[in-house]
Amino acid sequence: MKVDLEFELNGHTVEASVDPWARLIDLIRGPLGLTGTKEGCGEGECGACTVIVDGRTVNSCLYPALEVTGKRVTTIEGLQSADGGLSPVQKAFVEGGGIQCGFCTPGMILSATALLERNPDPDDEEIREALVGNLCRCTGYVQIFEAIKTAAASMRQAGRETA
Amino acid sequence: MPKYEYHRPKTLDDALELVAAREGARCIAGGTELLVRFRKGTAEPPPALVSLRSVEELRRIDVSETIRIGAAVTVAEVAAHEEIRALLPALANAARSLGCVQIRNTATIGGNLANASPCADTAPPLLVYDASLVLRSRAATREVPFSEFTRGPGSTCLASDEILTEIKIKRPGSGLRSEYSRKGRVKMDLAIASLATAFRIEDQILSGVRVAAGAVGEVPLRLLRTEEILEGESLCAGLIGQAADQAAMEVRPISDIRSSAGYRRSLVRVFLSRHLRSCLAGAEREG
Amino acid sequence: MTGFRHIGKPAQRPEGNDKATGKALYIHDLSRPGMLYGKIKFSEHAHARIVKIDTSRAERLPGVRAVLTGANTPEIRVGFLRDNVALKRDRVLQYRDEVAAVAAIDPETAARAVELIDVEYEPLPGVFSPEEALAEGAPILHEKLPNGRPRQNNKLELTFDHASGDLEAGKRAAKFVAEGEYSTPLIQQSCMGTAGCIAEFDGNHNLTVWAKTQIPFLAQRDFNGALAAMGLKGKRVRVIVPTLGGGFGTGLDTHCYEYITILLAQKTGRPVKIVYDREEEFAYLSPRQSARTMVRQGCDEKGRLTFREVEAVLDNGAYTSWGATYPSIMLLPATSLYKVPNVRFKAQLVYTNNTYCQAMRGYGNPEVTWPIESTLDDLAEKAGLDALEIRRINCNEPGELTPMGLKITTCGLRQCLETAAEKIGWSAKRRQGRKAARGVGLASLVHVGGGGKIYRSDGSGIILKIDDYGAVNVSYGGVEMGQGLHTVLRQAVAESLGVLPESVVINQTDTATCPWDVGTHASRGAYMACNAAILAASKIRGKLFTLAAEVLPEEVERRFKRKERKDPGFQRPAVDPAAFGNPEDLELADGMMFLKQDPGFTIEFGRVLRAIHFRDAGTVLTEEAFFEPKTDLPDWSKGYGNMSENYAYGTQAVEVEVDRETGEVKILRVVAVHDVGRVLNPVTLKGQMYGALAQGIGYALYEKVLTKRGKILNPGFTDYKIPTAGEFDFPIELAFVETNDPAGPFGAKGVGESGMVPTAPAIGNAIFDAVGVRVNDLPITPEKLLLAIEAKRRQDEGGA
Repeated sequence: MKVDLEFELNGHTVEASVDPWARLIDLIRGPLGLTGTKEGCGEGECGACTVIVDGRTVNSCLYPALEVTGKRVTTIEGLQSADGGLSPVQKAFVEGGGIQCGFCTPGMILSATALLERNPDPDDEEIREALVGNLCRCTGYVQIFEAIKTAAASMRQAGRETA
Repeated sequence: MPKYEYHRPKTLDDALELVAAREGARCIAGGTELLVRFRKGTAEPPPALVSLRSVEELRRIDVSETIRIGAAVTVAEVAAHEEIRALLPALANAARSLGCVQIRNTATIGGNLANASPCADTAPPLLVYDASLVLRSRAATREVPFSEFTRGPGSTCLASDEILTEIKIKRPGSGLRSEYSRKGRVKMDLAIASLATAFRIEDQILSGVRVAAGAVGEVPLRLLRTEEILEGESLCAGLIGQAADQAAMEVRPISDIRSSAGYRRSLVRVFLSRHLRSCLAGAEREG
Repeated sequence: MTGFRHIGKPAQRPEGNDKATGKALYIHDLSRPGMLYGKIKFSEHAHARIVKIDTSRAERLPGVRAVLTGANTPEIRVGFLRDNVALKRDRVLQYRDEVAAVAAIDPETAARAVELIDVEYEPLPGVFSPEEALAEGAPILHEKLPNGRPRQNNKLELTFDHASGDLEAGKRAAKFVAEGEYSTPLIQQSCMGTAGCIAEFDGNHNLTVWAKTQIPFLAQRDFNGALAAMGLKGKRVRVIVPTLGGGFGTGLDTHCYEYITILLAQKTGRPVKIVYDREEEFAYLSPRQSARTMVRQGCDEKGRLTFREVEAVLDNGAYTSWGATYPSIMLLPATSLYKVPNVRFKAQLVYTNNTYCQAMRGYGNPEVTWPIESTLDDLAEKAGLDALEIRRINCNEPGELTPMGLKITTCGLRQCLETAAEKIGWSAKRRQGRKAARGVGLASLVHVGGGGKIYRSDGSGIILKIDDYGAVNVSYGGVEMGQGLHTVLRQAVAESLGVLPESVVINQTDTATCPWDVGTHASRGAYMACNAAILAASKIRGKLFTLAAEVLPEEVERRFKRKERKDPGFQRPAVDPAAFGNPEDLELADGMMFLKQDPGFTIEFGRVLRAIHFRDAGTVLTEEAFFEPKTDLPDWSKGYGNMSENYAYGTQAVEVEVDRETGEVKILRVVAVHDVGRVLNPVTLKGQMYGALAQGIGYALYEKVLTKRGKILNPGFTDYKIPTAGEFDFPIELAFVETNDPAGPFGAKGVGESGMVPTAPAIGNAIFDAVGVRVNDLPITPEKLLLAIEAKRRQDEGGA
C-alpha cells in the first residue's frame, strides 16, 4: 500500500505517494521526473545520486523516500544563481573543465555546493575530503578541485560586494 | 526490489511498541549497510522496518561525568562534535574515517555497532574506552559492556524486542592518550585492518592500557595479552617491538579479496608500534 | 604560425550547461511510449552443457511479455570472428553467457521473471589460464575452426608476429642484457554511466537502436546482419547515440545485450530497454584484457639498443572481441619505442573459460610499455648508465622509419624527456632518496596520433549545413563521450569556416543524419573530426565566396541606399560596392564578411546568406567531406605497416615515497610532458591528460578484477577500487610539446589515450629508485610491495 508524503523539493512543496520501500532516487527520477540525479551503483559507493537533504549531502540510492517527509531536498535541477543562470559552482565546473562525460557531475556539483555553504574557503584537503564519495572516471579530479576553488573565490567576492 | 512496511515513530516508546507488536520487525537507522544488503539479496528484509531516525531521544549527545551518545546520532555528528573530539579522539577519528561525507551524514553510530561488522570503524575505539551500551525493551532496560555486545559477524546480543538506545562512556580523566589507525585500499573503503589504543603514561610507565583491533577477527577484538605486556611497564623500543609482535600474533584475521591475513597482521603490528613510538618520541622530546 | 582565432583557446563545451544542470539525457534517462524492460538470465557455470531451460514459470508471471532462449530465437552470431552467439543454445563457456531473456512491463517484474527461469546444466571441466587451456587433454572450447574443420587446441588463429633485422646479431652485439616477465591485470573501464540500449521497430519493421556505443556505423552494420538472421533482410537500422556516461573502449564492439534487446523488441512489437546495473556492468561487460609479457633487450657498451624481444601471452576469455587485437597495438612500443634494430615480437591468444575482453584506452600499449620501460631501467643499471641517459641515447627522431614501418614525421620525444626530467628534479633526486625511501622514475610512450588503421577504412565524414542566419549545424558520426570531441570540433569549424564557435551547433550522432565514421577510438576523435571539418569548410568557403561575389555588390549598394533614405546625414564608407564582386577578395571571420584589403567594413554573415538564398535561383549552403588518412592497414602476420599519419610521444616522471613498513606508495609529484602536435583547447586537453593519468595510476596501484575459476569476485565499487578524489593529494604538472605535425589538423596529434600509457612504469621505476625492488605484476599493491621489500631485506641481511 502506498504511503503519502509531503516535502520541499527545490523550493516547492511536493506531495507524493510512494511504496514504503521506495528509495528517494526512485521517487525523484520516477514520478517526479527529475532525471538529473543519476544512479551509478545503487550502493552508496559512487555518489552520482547525491542530493542535499536539509543542508547535508546524502546518497539518494540509500535514502528511503519516506525519510524526506517534512524536509528540504535540493537536486541538481534546484541549483541556480540569483539571476536564474548557472550557480557559481555550475559555472566554474563548465568553464574550468570540471565536466567530461557529465554522469558524476550533478552529484559532484551538489557535494561541492554543500561544502561551500558550510565552508566558504576550503583548503585542498577539505575539498578532497568532501568529494571522496563522488567517483569520477574521466577527469582525474584535478579540474574539479580547481573549479571548486574558482567558485569559492567568486562566491566570497560576491559576498563582499553585497555586504 | 525488497518489500516491507516502513514505520517512522517519533518517540522511543512508540518505537518499542512497534518492535514488540510487529512480528519480525527490525530497527533501522541510517540504513547505509542494511538497505544495500536487502537490495543485493545478502540479507532477507523483515516484514517491517522501524526507522529510528525521527526518535529525538536517540539523537542527543550529552557530555557530563558520563558521555552518552544516542544510537541515532549520525557518524558525521560524532566526528564533528567538539567535546568528543577533545575527550575521545580515537572515536572522533574513527567516525571521520568511515565511508564518505554522504555516508557519514546518513549512517548512525548505533547502526555501525548493531550491524556487527568485523570492520566497523567505531568499534575498536569504543572497546578501548570501555564503553557500554544501553538496550531497552518495553519491559526492561539493561546495560551491557560493548565487549559483550557483538557475538559474531552480523550477530549481537540484542533481543528481537530490544532497541540499542545509547552508548555510554565514562568521561576520561586528563592524561588518557587514545588513538585510532586504519587502512583501506583507497581513501573511501572499508578498513582492511584497524587499531585503537588508549593508555596513560607517567614517568614512562604505561597504565590503563587498552588495545583493540578491527577487521582482524570475527568481531572487533580486545587484545588482552598485548595489553598485559604493556601494562605497568616502562615504554621503550624493546617493549614496543615485543607488544607489536604480540598484537600481530593475537589477532585472528582471515584472507579475503580485500587483503591477506598476513598483511592484516603486518598492519596491526605497524599501527601499534606507531602509536607507541609517537608517544615515546613525544616523551623524549618533553624529557 | 599561431594566428588562430579559436584554436588553442579554452572554448567551452557545447554540452557543458546541460551536463551541469542535469538536462543531458543518458540512456538511463530515455524512454519510449509503451516501452518494456528487458533483463538477461546469465549462466551459473563457467563451462557447462545446457540440458534444459524451463521458462514456464517466468511466462506465467503477470506483466511478462516475452521470454526468449536460444531455442526459440534465430541464431545471431557476434564478434569479429563470429565465435559468439547472442543467446546460447547448447553450451555455456563463461559465467556471463546469456542463456535466456525476458521483457516485462517494469524492471521489477523483469527481474522476478528472470529468477523464475530454471536452467539445468551438466557442468564441464573448465580452463582458467592460458597454461590450463594449452595443457594436454584440456577441453576444447570452440569445437570448430572458422572454416568448419575440427579445432585441435585452444589457440586463436590470429597471428601477430614481427621479425626485423637480425636478432642473433643483435644479441651478439649486446654487452648488457635485461629481461623480465611482467603482467598486467584484467581491469574494468568503470564508466560512471553503465551500458544499455533501447530497440524499437517501426511499422515497416525498420529498427532504431539508441545505443551506448562508440561505433554507431559498425554497430549499424552488425545490427543489419542481425536483422538478416532474424528474417528481416533488407530492413534498415538506425543507430542514435545518447549522451554517453563515459566510453573508454566499452563501446567499441556490439554486445549480446544489444542483440537480445532487438530480439525482444521484435518478439513483443514494443520498444524494449536493457540497462545494466553496476553489478551487471562489472560481471557481464567486457573488461580490459590481462596480459603476460616477457621482454628481453640489450645494448652495446655505449648504451645503444641492439635488440629487443617481446613475447606476450593473452588470456582471450571464451569469445573474441577486440581483446584479441591487443597485440596489434603492442607492436607499436615493441618495435618503435626508442630506436632499436633487430626486433622479434610474438603474441599468442588463448581461449579460456574466463570473461572475454574488450578495448580500453590505449589497449595493448600500456601492457607492453610497462615491461619495456621497466627493463630499460634495469638495462641502464647494468650498463652503468643513468636511466635518463639511456633514453637520450636511443631517443626517437623525426624522419625515422621504424622496424614496424612507422613513418615518423614529427617527434617531440627528446624534448618530452628533457622537460620531464628537469621538472621532476631528476639530477638532484635520482639515486638520492634510498635512505628516506624516496625515488624518482620516468617512462615514455609512442602511440598512434593520426588515426589508427585497423579496418578497411579509417575515415570520417562530415556535413556542414548553414542556415539563413549564419548558424552552422554539424553532422559528424564520431562520438562525444566526455573527451571534448564536440568542443574542439566546434572550434575547428569556427576556425576553418570563419564563424564564431557559438554559432556552430553539433547535432546528435545518428546514423540516419551523419556520414560514416569508423568509430571513436585510437585517439582519433579530434584528429579526424577536425581534419574533416577543415576539408568541408574549405569546400564551403569556395562555394560561398563565389556566390557572395554574385550578390554582394548589389546588396552593399542597396544597404547604403537604405541607410541614406533613413538618415539624410549618413556618410557612405569609403568602400566601393563593386569591389565585393571578386571572390578572391572576400574573407569571412568570426561571422563577418569583409574585403581582405579593407577589414574595417564588415557585413554580417547571415545577411550574405539571405542574399544568396532569397533571389531568383537562390540556394542554401550545405557541404560534406570525407577525410581518409593516408595510412596502411598493417600486415599483422609480419607486424608491418604505417597505421597512422603521425605518432604521439610523451614522458611522465613521478616522485614517490614508500612506507617500508606497510608497503604503501605515496605519490609526491607527477610530471607529464606530451608531444601533442598542437594544443587545440588547453582545458579539454588537460582534462584528457589528467583523466588518463588517473586511470594510469589506478592501473598501477589499485585496480584488478579478481576472478576465481572464471567467476568475478568483486563486481562493484565496494571491492573494485578506482582512485577517489582523496588519492589525488599531490601536484600534477602538465607540459605540452607542440611539434606542429604537417598532417594534423592545425598541427595537432591525437592524444586521448597517451596519458595512461607510461604511468605504471614511471611509478614502478620511481619505486625501484626509492627502495630497490620491483613488483612485476600490476597493480603494485602495498601488500605485494611489502613482501618484495621484506624479501630484499632478508636477502641483504643474508648476504651481509
